[in-house]
Amino acid sequence: MKERKMRIRPLTLLSKLIIWVWISASMLPIIFMVSTSLKDSDIARQMPPQWIFKPKFQNYLDVLVGADGHSQGFNRLLLNSFIVTFTSTILCLLVAFPAAIALSQPKFTRRKFLSSWILSTYMFPPIVAIIPVFIFAGKINAIDTYPVLAIPYAAFNLPVVIWILRSSIEQIPKEIEEAAHVDGTNGWQYISKILFPLTVPALATGAILSSILTWNDFLFGLALTRSSAKTAPVGIQEFTGMYGTDWGSLSAASVTIVAPVLVIAIIVRKRIVSGLTFGAVK
Amino acid sequence: MRKATSKVNFASAINGQKLARSNSEPASLSRKKHSNRIFWFQMTPALIILLIMTIAPAIYLISKSFTNSSLLDSNSQFIGLKNYQSVLTDSSQLHAARVTGIFVVLVVLIEMVSGLFFAQFLYKKTRANSVAGALLIVPFAVAPAVAAMIFRELLNPNYGWVDYFMGLVGLPPQVDWLGNSFTSWIALIVLDVWQWTPYVTLILIAGMSALPEEPLEAAAVDGANTWQIFRHISVRLMAPFIAIALVLRTIQAFKTFDSFLILTGGGPGDSTSPVNLEIYRVALQSFRVGYASSMAILLLIVTSILTPVLLRILGWATKSEVDKLAFK
Repeated sequence: MKERKMRIRPLTLLSKLIIWVWISASMLPIIFMVSTSLKDSDIARQMPPQWIFKPKFQNYLDVLVGADGHSQGFNRLLLNSFIVTFTSTILCLLVAFPAAIALSQPKFTRRKFLSSWILSTYMFPPIVAIIPVFIFAGKINAIDTYPVLAIPYAAFNLPVVIWILRSSIEQIPKEIEEAAHVDGTNGWQYISKILFPLTVPALATGAILSSILTWNDFLFGLALTRSSAKTAPVGIQEFTGMYGTDWGSLSAASVTIVAPVLVIAIIVRKRIVSGLTFGAVK
Repeated sequence: MRKATSKVNFASAINGQKLARSNSEPASLSRKKHSNRIFWFQMTPALIILLIMTIAPAIYLISKSFTNSSLLDSNSQFIGLKNYQSVLTDSSQLHAARVTGIFVVLVVLIEMVSGLFFAQFLYKKTRANSVAGALLIVPFAVAPAVAAMIFRELLNPNYGWVDYFMGLVGLPPQVDWLGNSFTSWIALIVLDVWQWTPYVTLILIAGMSALPEEPLEAAAVDGANTWQIFRHISVRLMAPFIAIALVLRTIQAFKTFDSFLILTGGGPGDSTSPVNLEIYRVALQSFRVGYASSMAILLLIVTSILTPVLLRILGWATKSEVDKLAFK
């Protein structure tokens, strides 16, 4: 027994070593982004990289307060991203919650078909939807407005959010509903007083997931905005111009996009994993 | 579209225990009809939004795909199947289809294998593993567009860190990564694997920690080694989670757009230009709506064929094991 263990050890050690080398290496892009964002422009491109330097927040000031050389302050793009993320998430939850209630009722004869159809829309390629949305929005002069972004985002996050809510509602023991009926609670009271509070964690998961997916999205923002509703991930592309890349500003802007998501993701890691599998993994 | 009628077991598997409940309740027919109306009412907003974003675009694109419609020219004529004919015979379109296919297969394969490897060693609840779990979610939280931008800077032949580190370990420095197609492919795949392996790993870790301990311990007592335990026990018990990760990653990989546009721009030439990027360019940069529509419809047909297959895998997985493990 002991001998065997001795034989296994080196392989396990090697595997762990590989894993930790991978994890460390995968932090490099983040380290690069954060350190470059804190460097003066004259040392940002030095090779070998300067590991020890005095952090400067000038890049963040340039990006957030606005400096010359950019058509539009990046703070405005962050605000746009926030508005679009917020409205599309609210819209998504408002629409998904009643749908999830209906889909979790055994009395609803069409629920299986509808649930699977909704799941299958997750496979619908966004690029396909963009062409008609782009043309239609152009016709009604809605390109570069918030609704033309918020509605598609809500739509494309709906399958995930409905499924998360539905699987959570289905976990509510039927005794609770029966007891409520015995007590004379009507449908609306049941939903607002009992079902809703029990679904709050799932609503939170749905909201977090929908927010992250919207905040991080690039394609819709790229296709459907020009300037006044442009979102942050689209905006960072502009830091590479004709005269090369403004590394400091690019990195600082990137950090402002990534940081909020990162903080949330680390805190509620389990929820995100569960949510991204449509509630299938707990 | 065909996808609308695809039959799925994912739903029925999860509803399994609920069915019993509906049978035990003797509901009169009129009440059933009445409540169905309420359910449809509750479904309406979601259905409207989903129809606007899926079925309506599909119908619109089908009608446009038979025309030579363009946003730059108000004259639009019916040209029958010509668009489809030229898409299917255009070597660059077929090349794009190949790029998408190769990309999806390669990244999903690499991510699944690495994810399994990671999960095998990280699932035990130790302090080191929880640190690893927290670090793993980092790449995955980075917006794909930002990640692609960062990778482009890292791969810069003059100032990028990648070439610097390669020089340090004695590899040839100053590789122009995005300047030739082979290294561009490597860059794209590394970016995707960097970003999404953690996702697969975290799903599989969730699966591993739900596994019953007994069979693993029994096998260890019987003298099975790590590989044997992994191959004969873990993988089988994990099958549902592997299926979930596989299906979801495949779907997401098909949608990949940001990294192609930002990191390689489809280049050099069109060597890394996938279908998504081609459609984007034809529709929103050349404004050839008719032609782009036929490309989009062909993509939809392929997705519609794949959708039931993927959902069936998911249904099989959730039916067999997840009921016991995760849906309890």
